[in-house]
Amino acid sequence: MIDLESIGKTYTRQTGESVRALDDVSLRIERGEFVAIVGASGSGKSTLMNVLGLLDEPTEGRYRFDAEDVSNLSLAARAGFRNARIGFVFQSFHLLARTSALENVELPLLYSDRADIAGLGERALAAVGLADRMQHTPAELSGGQQQRVAIARALVNEPDLLLADEPTGNLDAAVAAEIMSILQSLNRAGRTIVLVTHDPAMASAARRLVRLAHGRVVSDGPIASGDITLAPTVLEAR
Amino acid sequence: MKTPALIRQAIRSMDRYRLRSAFMMLGSLVGAAALTFVVSLAQGAEAKMLRTVKQVVGDGSVIVAGGGSRMMGGPHAAAGRLTIDDVAAAVQQVPGIEAWDPQAVVRETVRHADSTTEVRVIGGSEHWSRVWGRGVARGESFDRSAIEGSSRVALIGETVAHRIFGAENPIGGDIRIGAVPFRVIGVLEPFGVDMHGMDRDDEIVVPLSTLMRRVTNIDAIGAAKIVVADPRREDTVAASLRQALRARHRLDRDRPDDFSIMTSSQVQGMVSTIERVLWLYVPLVGGIVLIIGGGVAATLMLASVNERTAEIGLRTAIGARPADIRWQFIAETAATVVLGGLGGVVLGLAGVQLVALHLPLDSTVSWAAVAISVLASIVVGFAAGVAPAQRAARLNPVDALR
Repeated sequence: MIDLESIGKTYTRQTGESVRALDDVSLRIERGEFVAIVGASGSGKSTLMNVLGLLDEPTEGRYRFDAEDVSNLSLAARAGFRNARIGFVFQSFHLLARTSALENVELPLLYSDRADIAGLGERALAAVGLADRMQHTPAELSGGQQQRVAIARALVNEPDLLLADEPTGNLDAAVAAEIMSILQSLNRAGRTIVLVTHDPAMASAARRLVRLAHGRVVSDGPIASGDITLAPTVLEAR
Repeated sequence: MKTPALIRQAIRSMDRYRLRSAFMMLGSLVGAAALTFVVSLAQGAEAKMLRTVKQVVGDGSVIVAGGGSRMMGGPHAAAGRLTIDDVAAAVQQVPGIEAWDPQAVVRETVRHADSTTEVRVIGGSEHWSRVWGRGVARGESFDRSAIEGSSRVALIGETVAHRIFGAENPIGGDIRIGAVPFRVIGVLEPFGVDMHGMDRDDEIVVPLSTLMRRVTNIDAIGAAKIVVADPRREDTVAASLRQALRARHRLDRDRPDDFSIMTSSQVQGMVSTIERVLWLYVPLVGGIVLIIGGGVAATLMLASVNERTAEIGLRTAIGARPADIRWQFIAETAATVVLGGLGGVVLGLAGVQLVALHLPLDSTVSWAAVAISVLASIVVGFAAGVAPAQRAARLNPVDALR
């Protein structure tokens, strides 16, 4: 489904210094995979996620999504593509304050051309177990519940790809495990997921591990037991 | 994003940021309220003035007053140079005059039993009622024989009646004007407050001959009102009257009039000038307030954009195009400012109603002022939204989400 070919990304800092964030990254991700991208801070994993999510353009290389070349789309075309094909889950949830869970979940539908949007928000919330919290505002929900609302928002438009950037970074271990198990069950149901994290314990929930260092892929393979140390709570959740 | 969704989002956002929205509304609220209030008030005042001017002066009439050139101050009782004979002679020479009434006005102490008050006492002829368009509400008026016999009969206004007679029936009652005893034969039709702010029910009308001979002992009148048969000819009639009066006063070519003469359309024209001045300055002031309000709204909205980078980043990530973001912020600013403007219009109109209860003016709604207020807040609202919207639309989602 995703085919990155020799992707490079160079930033120019305000000081004039140029930074090589990604260097010759080639990566293929098939439909139904659950890939964890790990690396230390500054390894380029966030940049890679931004490129994968069409939030940022690569300076070199080619990005094909379902055989369509999306490397050089216009801003508006990228926005439309993100809306229809990609769901995002962020570390800090990014829910609109003083806005009900249902309204938050339905936000992507505002920017969609789809006509059949009735009931999608309710269905997505039910899928993350929050059918009884639809009218609650973020302030009335726990951290874990807020992240579940965010997952429902990412799923509402039925995207091909779910991108999760440190989704458990703001949550304690027990709640983090809960979120990871939701992602796992979504993946079992066929959803393609890319998880970006610096936490090996969380990465262990995925089925494939891509390790980045200095903007390059240094290892890529299925997760075998013993590869990563698993936190006890995550083990329990599994 | 579709327009209905855009408007719904704008309203939701106003609700989410209530305090900010309230401050943003302030400028358009005050501007629109001031504009609506003052222009409506001015129009109401002008309508009331025109109405009373019409009541006093009437269409197709000419007013001659003693003394030169001081017309708007009202007739002067002691002008000294104008007599009944002057006016009678002039009227004789000019064709097209339907009726006329000489008038003298003095302030005198009026007594009844233990009550004393000071009121305006007007002396008029038997044509008084017809010429000034005011009759008696109760009792009867005086006729030619009362004038010829200098009868001591009086018509009193409602205010006077209430003040000196209280609940007592004033008809047939005895009063003293100065030292002279009069009998009340009628109560004047209510009039209200005139264009000078005078209570025209606080006056007494007596036969002019009685007033001049028995009360004041002078032979000059303050003014005379001449009703022209054909209102279109009032200028011609006024010009002829002026010539006749100048001849009678033996004024040389190089001497100015020692009386003033004015037609009803000239008096009405003076009143309309007041409104023209208001039309020039009030919208200017309202407009300036609105523009300042727009500046405040734009500044607050820019601050809001800075504060909401995460929201903008999120919306961009989930598929908002730069145009969607731009329109979101323009709609939000415009909706807030326009709502403020609408609130201002309502406030202004409510203010007019309130003031009209307490001041002698009509509660008119100036739809032009309402339209200008609403239009101006729409224009200002959209203009104020442009800069914040541009900044929001240019945000890079990668930075905004960091």
